[in-house]
Amino acid sequence: MLTRPRPLVLAVLAALLVAGLLIPAFGGPYAVKFTTRFIVFAIFVLSLDLLIGITGLVSFGHAMFFALGAYALYFVSSTSEASNALVAFPAAMLLAGLVAAAIGAVAVLTRGFYFIMVTLAFGQMLFSLFFDTKIAGGSDGAYIYIKPAVSLAGVTLLDLDHRTTFFFVCLALLVVVYAALLAVARSPFGRVLQGIRWNEGRLAALGFNTYVYKLLSFIIAGAFAGLAGVLYATIDGYVTPDLFGWRQSGIAIMMVVLGGVGTLFGPILGALSFSLVEEVLKTESLVGPIATNWSLALGVLLIATVLGAPRGIAGWLEPKRGAEAAAAPVPATARERRPMKGKAIETEGLSRAFGGLIAVNDVTLRLAPNQVHGIIGPNGAGKTTLINLLSGALRSTSGRIRLDGEDITGWAQHAIARRGLGRSYQRTNIILPFTARENCLIAAQARHPEALRFSTRGYAKEEATEAAYALNATGLAGRADTVAAHLSHGEQRQLEIAMLIASGARLLILDEPLGGMGPEETGRVTALLRDLSADHTVILVEHDMDAIFAAADTLTVLVEGRLLAHGSPQDIRRDPAVRKAYLGRFGENEAVA
Amino acid sequence: MSAPAESAAPYAAPALEAQRLNTYYGLSHILRNVDFRVMPQETVTLLGRNGMGKTTLLRTLMGLVRPKSGRITLGMQDITGWRPSAVARSGLAFVPEDRGVFPNLTVKENLTFAARSGGSGRADWTLERIYALFPRLAERRQHGGNQLSGGEQKMLAIGRALMTNPDIVLLDEATEGLAPKIRDEIWETVRQIRAAGIAAVVIDKNLDDLFALADRNVVLTKGEIVFDGPTAELKADPAFIQHHLGV
Amino acid sequence: MELVLIQILNGLQYGLLIFLAASGLTLVFGILGIINLSHGSFYMLGAYLSLTLTSYTGDIFLSLLIGIPLAFAFGALIEWLFIRHLYGRDHLQQVLLTFALILIFNDLQRVVWGTRPHSVPIPSYLSASVQLSDVLSYPVYRLAVAGFCVLLALGMVYVIQYTRIGQMIRAGESNREMVEVLGIDSRLLFRFVFAAGVALAAAAGAIAAPIDSVYPGVGEPVLIISFVVVVIGGIGSIKGAFFGALLIGLADAFGKVFLPEFASVVVYALMAAVLVVSPGGLFGRA
Repeated sequence: MLTRPRPLVLAVLAALLVAGLLIPAFGGPYAVKFTTRFIVFAIFVLSLDLLIGITGLVSFGHAMFFALGAYALYFVSSTSEASNALVAFPAAMLLAGLVAAAIGAVAVLTRGFYFIMVTLAFGQMLFSLFFDTKIAGGSDGAYIYIKPAVSLAGVTLLDLDHRTTFFFVCLALLVVVYAALLAVARSPFGRVLQGIRWNEGRLAALGFNTYVYKLLSFIIAGAFAGLAGVLYATIDGYVTPDLFGWRQSGIAIMMVVLGGVGTLFGPILGALSFSLVEEVLKTESLVGPIATNWSLALGVLLIATVLGAPRGIAGWLEPKRGAEAAAAPVPATARERRPMKGKAIETEGLSRAFGGLIAVNDVTLRLAPNQVHGIIGPNGAGKTTLINLLSGALRSTSGRIRLDGEDITGWAQHAIARRGLGRSYQRTNIILPFTARENCLIAAQARHPEALRFSTRGYAKEEATEAAYALNATGLAGRADTVAAHLSHGEQRQLEIAMLIASGARLLILDEPLGGMGPEETGRVTALLRDLSADHTVILVEHDMDAIFAAADTLTVLVEGRLLAHGSPQDIRRDPAVRKAYLGRFGENEAVA
Repeated sequence: MSAPAESAAPYAAPALEAQRLNTYYGLSHILRNVDFRVMPQETVTLLGRNGMGKTTLLRTLMGLVRPKSGRITLGMQDITGWRPSAVARSGLAFVPEDRGVFPNLTVKENLTFAARSGGSGRADWTLERIYALFPRLAERRQHGGNQLSGGEQKMLAIGRALMTNPDIVLLDEATEGLAPKIRDEIWETVRQIRAAGIAAVVIDKNLDDLFALADRNVVLTKGEIVFDGPTAELKADPAFIQHHLGV
Repeated sequence: MELVLIQILNGLQYGLLIFLAASGLTLVFGILGIINLSHGSFYMLGAYLSLTLTSYTGDIFLSLLIGIPLAFAFGALIEWLFIRHLYGRDHLQQVLLTFALILIFNDLQRVVWGTRPHSVPIPSYLSASVQLSDVLSYPVYRLAVAGFCVLLALGMVYVIQYTRIGQMIRAGESNREMVEVLGIDSRLLFRFVFAAGVALAAAAGAIAAPIDSVYPGVGEPVLIISFVVVVIGGIGSIKGAFFGALLIGLADAFGKVFLPEFASVVVYALMAAVLVVSPGGLFGRA
């Protein structure tokens, strides 16, 4: 998850800011214009990084919002007097944001390749619209004869026609936009965006409406691109349909990647180094004959960056997250317990048929609270179907399910989840680039998934408490700030359980939580499950018989969809029917215990 | 115990041998120091509960997963780290659990597009012979791979493997999810493969069926080999079976 | 009435040409999982190859015979140099690397061929026009282009449906791993597919050269339209590319007549409509 910039990064940014402030004093008009241009691009690519790096949406049409912002200035300008920047700039953001809402509503339906192509195509559509029609001079473009001024109540405060004044306005806006986007990305809302980038399915399963989040991200990014566009039009006083072109979008992506995707400060550095490199490569006195083929040289440089340094400039300023903690041992922590009752669940004549096949057949079960319940049976016995019915992922054909006495038959999965039932899957499903704590924070945030929150206030304290509790309860307190990708397989499964607890679950249904674990990890997680039953009810499906016989208070045996036996592990071990069903004629031999 | 076990003379070189194999998926250690060999023409079963590393062993042998350490030799060649296609061309064939039938190819195309002769130009398996082995496939030769039942897909996958004229066939979950009658047909096929002199490594859940055709059994638990020997020895220890293979 | 007929002919001819380019793009998407922004550059390569080769051979069809294999070899080289590093990498890197290739190809084009537009002569035996009515005629070369595209399309169907390599490609599309397991080196298969995609784009560029002139960046509009076609047809679907391309060709032709200022907007609006109804494209798998 995006952290506050490190001191080194802040130092670099501060140094750049100081250098920027000094430019008008020491640089000539060309230097001021060049730097203004770079600042405008930096604002533009910052907004693109919100899409690409934070939300994970690779847009190849972002230049259209930049261009719309530029055209907005033309639309509000007259030929006789200066427009008011306090009107023009918000108008640019509004126009870009509105179009982003319309295009995003369609584009965000798609993902991956389609999203890239669709954004590219929409950008091209707007290009043709402005190129082929008479809007703003059509293919010739149009001039903005009088540059805007900042005026309030008829008094002109700042004349943006003045090069240095405009330069400082742009610089101030860059600082503001960086701070604003950093705040958005680090807010609960932005946290969800970052989660979507890495594991959209998980976020959806937690109950977040990912479509709305992605669309909002698209609109915010579009509006800020519009701001960059209106500034750009102010520099040159000229707009042309080429601004919509896909090359502009491509170059913006290049700047983002060159600087470092998903870091926000990286794209600023990317825009700066790109502008400098481009300038140098174009200058014949510096590079000689390369200057005639500067875009070839740029292409080669870019390929080297993509293949050689995929983390960009930011990669040099920031260490790779969490690598340092990879080998740290797990400290034994005293686990906090809450006096809390787990949820009880019972079924009555529960059945589910798939066509002619009855996967779960008339199962009646009572699973008491604060115990570990194992479900076992051969492949195809209906174990997974049964837990899918309990968690609401599947609807039963007949029968009833009650959670703590409340009839939840036929409820939607998320409604059941709200009642405190959490379920894990066979494949570990966490957000790998986030720390354990961040994973739990996002899960805790799902307690109120309906709220689009930009402020960290409100539930922040509750969420932090819940996340800390969940980590503690699962024995991960010592690993809270380790990136999930660096956790061992067993710890990742623990983290998945921690996320369920953080999201408020008091009945945990775990599908093969011990799969793929070595003996030591199996022992540790088995002990954890026992421990958890102090304040939760645990249901698990597992193939590791040693572990499940050791961990479970009760065992439920399914064969061909039917309940064959239910009882304590000792009873099940002795049950002749169970042994016959599993072991064929070997079951008739000597008793095993 | 069945006869061919003895026919695989103890001093003969193994057709396939893995030494101290360690395989990981991400951070999970799946295979732990596995030593595994298959003699020419031998039928070996691979037993163990779900998630114990059986499929991973087959995938490692096939080159689909790269072992972190260890060595795999096929005949005289060290094939560790080879691409699956190179391993296949050296005489190993793999029939995955999900069968890997190409849905957009017809039955006949599935059989023929990758067909080739085996080592030293051997071309024992022809389309006619596969159709004779599986008359159902002959009937459905123009059907798409996506129009077949599970049993037919398994037959097609086995037939397709044979069309590459391999020396060793790796069969993952040979009869999983198939009706009893179809299962018997598959077992009959495995017997015919064995009679044709092709070595096989078979994974399945039906212990009785496996024991009936195995020369040797290997049991995996948590990625380690805990048993390697003839059926009679394994059957003599029901406690061991219950512990490692019981459900 | 004749106007409608002419527009139908124009639309079909344009659509068929777009199909050639889009089919290469969709093959590379569908089988290699690569988003290739530099596809338009290969269209441009075809156009310039036909310019140069026609100046030597004197006949566009002779130059195709030489140019297409050249483009194929060039595609194999590019795959080996760059594209193979992108398999399994994220979209962003694919986008960037292929975007960088555009910059490189554009400059190389300028160095080799210069910036001046050129035209490629129509062979004399195809320079006539067919008289449709007293006032309207239709150039024979355009009909020949349509015929050539149909032939190539049929050839593609034949290769994909009835040859062993076509079966391998189809197999690779659904399950690359299984293809490897059966002993087929998927690296070579992938190189072949990429090279074939390049050859198809180049063929389209070459055959269109006498209709359009040849100029720097001639492939870029084609790339964008090909994307639209692939989005409409569904990634990886040749059938989708075919119907998508004809649809786009006709929409473009009629748009130009009835909504001249909004002709290209019509095409994109069509795409948006398809996406809303079926986000995976008309013949998509997803």
